[in-house]
Amino acid sequence: MSKLIKRALKNSIFPAILMIAGKVFGIFFTSAVYGLTFEIGNDLNGIFSTQIYFNDSSTTLFVNSYSDLFMFAFLAIPTAYFIAKTAIFQSATDDPKTIVKVTRFNILQWITKDDTTFLKIFIWTAFLWIASAIIVANTIQDNTYTWVGIFAGSFAFLCGFGAVKTFEVESNKVYPDNKKYY
Amino acid sequence: MKENKIKKTLALVVEPIALGLVALLFIIPAITVINLQPITKKLKDINVLGVTNRSELQINIVGGSHQIFLNEKIDLAEGKYVYRTKLTKRDADSYSKPIIEIINNKEESVNLDIYGGTTLPTKSDIGLIIRDQRYRLQEPNGDNSVQKIIVPAKERYVVYLYVESFSDVMFEEDFELTIKEIQ
Repeated sequence: MSKLIKRALKNSIFPAILMIAGKVFGIFFTSAVYGLTFEIGNDLNGIFSTQIYFNDSSTTLFVNSYSDLFMFAFLAIPTAYFIAKTAIFQSATDDPKTIVKVTRFNILQWITKDDTTFLKIFIWTAFLWIASAIIVANTIQDNTYTWVGIFAGSFAFLCGFGAVKTFEVESNKVYPDNKKYY
Repeated sequence: MKENKIKKTLALVVEPIALGLVALLFIIPAITVINLQPITKKLKDINVLGVTNRSELQINIVGGSHQIFLNEKIDLAEGKYVYRTKLTKRDADSYSKPIIEIINNKEESVNLDIYGGTTLPTKSDIGLIIRDQRYRLQEPNGDNSVQKIIVPAKERYVVYLYVESFSDVMFEEDFELTIKEIQ
C-alpha cells in the first residue's frame, strides 16, 4: 500500500469521527440547555433507520440549525488552525518581522515544527466542504437558519483559498520560484 | 524473489480496498449526519406512572427521501394539520410516496375532511391512496375536491400521496394538504 493512501486513511479518521460527534453533541447539548424533549425512533425510511423526533417544526428548525453550527465549528476550528499555522510558519521563514510578532503573541511553538502537511489540510478542508454542502442544502430546504448556511458557505469558501495557498507553498518547496532562489 | 512477488500481489489487492476505505471515510459521516437530522413528529405523552397515549387523533409525517416529493413538513395550527411538500419537475409518469400516518387513539371513529393541491394547475392528477383506495384531490385542470374519510377507533392508516401526469412537468410547485377533524 502506498504511503499516500496510508496517510490519507490515518488523517481522515479523526475529522470523520469529529463530524458525526459534532452533530450528535449539537443535538443533545441544545436539547439539554433549552430543556427540549425529543424521541429517538427506528422506523425504516429508505436507507435510514434512526430518526430524532421533536414536537414541532420550529423546535426542529432551531435544533437542526444549532447542531449544524456545532458540527461545522468542530471541523472549522482545527482547519483554520492548520491553515493559520502553515501560513505563519511560511511567513516566519520569509520575513523576520513575523517571528517578532509571533513572539509577542506567545505562539512561538506554532513555528518551531512544520508537522502540518498539505494532505492534512486538504482532508480537513474536504470534510469542511462536505459539512458546509449539507448545511447549505438544509438552508435551501428551510431546515436550517439562513445565517448558518451563509456563514458555513462563506467560511468553507475561504478555507478553500487557504488550502490552495498551502498547496502553493508545498509546490514551491518542490519547484522553487526561479527569481527567488537562484 | 518469491517474497517480492507475494508483496506485489498483496499490494495490488490491498490498494483498491484502501482507496475504497478512504472514500467510505468521507461518505459514511455525510450519510450519518443527514440521517441524524431531526424530524418533526408529535411525541407520546409520558407521565411519571408510566407511558400512556392520550386518546386523541395523531397525525405523523412518515419522512424519508424521494426524488419527486421534497422538503416535507407537517404543522398543527388552529386544529388543522397542514402537510407541505415541494413537487419537483418530472417526466410523464405516476409517482407515489407514503407521506403521513393517521392514528385514531379514540374509542370512537373520527371523520376527517381532507383537501389540498398546488396553487397553479400542473396538468397532473393529484390525490391520496389509503388502503388501496384512491381519493382524488386535484384534477389536471386545477379543480380541487374535498374528501371525507372515516378513521375507525384504534385504527392506523398510512396515507400515500400520488401524482400522475401524461406530459412532462418542467417546473417545481408547492403542494399543501389540509386535514381537519369534523366534530
